[in-house]
Amino acid sequence: MPYDPSKPLQDRITDIGPKNYEEFLPPVIKKNFGKWDYHEILEPGVLVHVAEGGDKVFTVRVGGARLMSISHIREIMEIADKHCGGFLRFTTRNNIEFMVDDQSKVEPLKKDLLSRKQPGGGFKFPIGGTGAGITNIVHTQGWLHCHTPATDASGVVKAVMDDLFDEFTSMRMPAHVRISLACCLNMCGAVHCSDIAILGYHRKPPMIDAEVIDKVCEIPLAIAACPTAAIKPAKIKKPDGTEAQAVAVNNDRCMFCGNCYTMCPAMPLADAEGDGIVIMVGGKVSNRISAPKFSKVVVAFLPNNVPRWPETTDCIRKIVEVYAGDARKYERLGEWAERIGWEKFFEKTGLEFTHHLIDDFRDPAYYTWRQTSQFKFTG
Amino acid sequence: MPTVEFKGKTFNVDEDGFIDDFNGWSREWVDYVKESEGISELTEEHWKVIDILQDYYKKNGIAPMVRILSKVTGFKLKYIYELFPSGPGKGACKMAGLPKPTGCV
Repeated sequence: MPYDPSKPLQDRITDIGPKNYEEFLPPVIKKNFGKWDYHEILEPGVLVHVAEGGDKVFTVRVGGARLMSISHIREIMEIADKHCGGFLRFTTRNNIEFMVDDQSKVEPLKKDLLSRKQPGGGFKFPIGGTGAGITNIVHTQGWLHCHTPATDASGVVKAVMDDLFDEFTSMRMPAHVRISLACCLNMCGAVHCSDIAILGYHRKPPMIDAEVIDKVCEIPLAIAACPTAAIKPAKIKKPDGTEAQAVAVNNDRCMFCGNCYTMCPAMPLADAEGDGIVIMVGGKVSNRISAPKFSKVVVAFLPNNVPRWPETTDCIRKIVEVYAGDARKYERLGEWAERIGWEKFFEKTGLEFTHHLIDDFRDPAYYTWRQTSQFKFTG
Repeated sequence: MPTVEFKGKTFNVDEDGFIDDFNGWSREWVDYVKESEGISELTEEHWKVIDILQDYYKKNGIAPMVRILSKVTGFKLKYIYELFPSGPGKGACKMAGLPKPTGCV
């Protein structure tokens, strides 16, 4: 029954939800579901889970670019058919996991995965992402598909992962380091709760397209979208001389969040020189030892230097190296920074502390200032 | 911006088929759009939803929240979907000539 545009509701199937995951479980996982005894990381990227009855499942984790062609997915399927009985899974950080039920199948799988390269030379399936290393970067759409970004996603992620590739394939960090990227401060994904976060940032207020604003926008929504109340209703003169209902932006109150553009297409603010990247650090979501934390801004601005973002990769490399050399075992980046004190974090990493980093957003900003004489001299 | 001619009227529409100006709306527009929105015959109930959306927009400058639309029309969301298969935003607001919904939609 092909789709008939003249009868759109005929034979329409709806509300059937996703497939039941049990349909896609490898036999060894289905058999031992809920009966796992313990697991080990055999080497970077390779895990073994042992079930109560003695069954084992070996997992090989490989990096994925997240943004993939169907031909790449077909290649993933071909590998799964060849080695894993046609089964595979994706992780919550968009890595790919191939599972086999016998140790003898691990080496051929690994050899096959590492033998596959992109025409430009990059690994198609680099093995790693386990334990105390740096796994995949959770990221967003960027210039590829979104209309509100202040930076790119795929491009920055590729540049950073190239720079940190050795950390993906090894486990030499004090604890795992989660890096995330969001291309605007809508923060789709995990930037607000990651060890290191890369965030797209604007530095100029929106322009107002007088010609169309009264037609394409619901003006009260644009006004209500502003967290600092910088937008007020106003009458403006249109290019054709008529008067129209519009808004006025108080540029002194605007902090360039872009929320108004999300609500109102006539208020664009993207700007080639103005836009760039903010670096945040110290967030986590687990409850291990310390409670979950938000990440904090430590670098107010880095330029969008396409296509390799050298300032961003250098900055992240520096933070990672200092953390890896200074933190204690099991200590996440945020726990380390809080233990040594943020003034020591800035001293050790060599990052510049600027007035941009001091919270000034409403009452809670006060609690981020220092109400104690306890501090360390630095510099 | 492409234009649409229908029964002697001209409408400017964007790539999603929303008209560019609420003031350019006329009843012919609804007749023109209904097919692409999966509606064969417009009933009084369709017009009730369209009228209420337009009144609310004229008065408040925004489209009503779904709960308000339900409460004022007396139609539950499920029934609004039966009237407008694409839903209150893409279907009813488009036919009523309101601006395209924005935000993370």
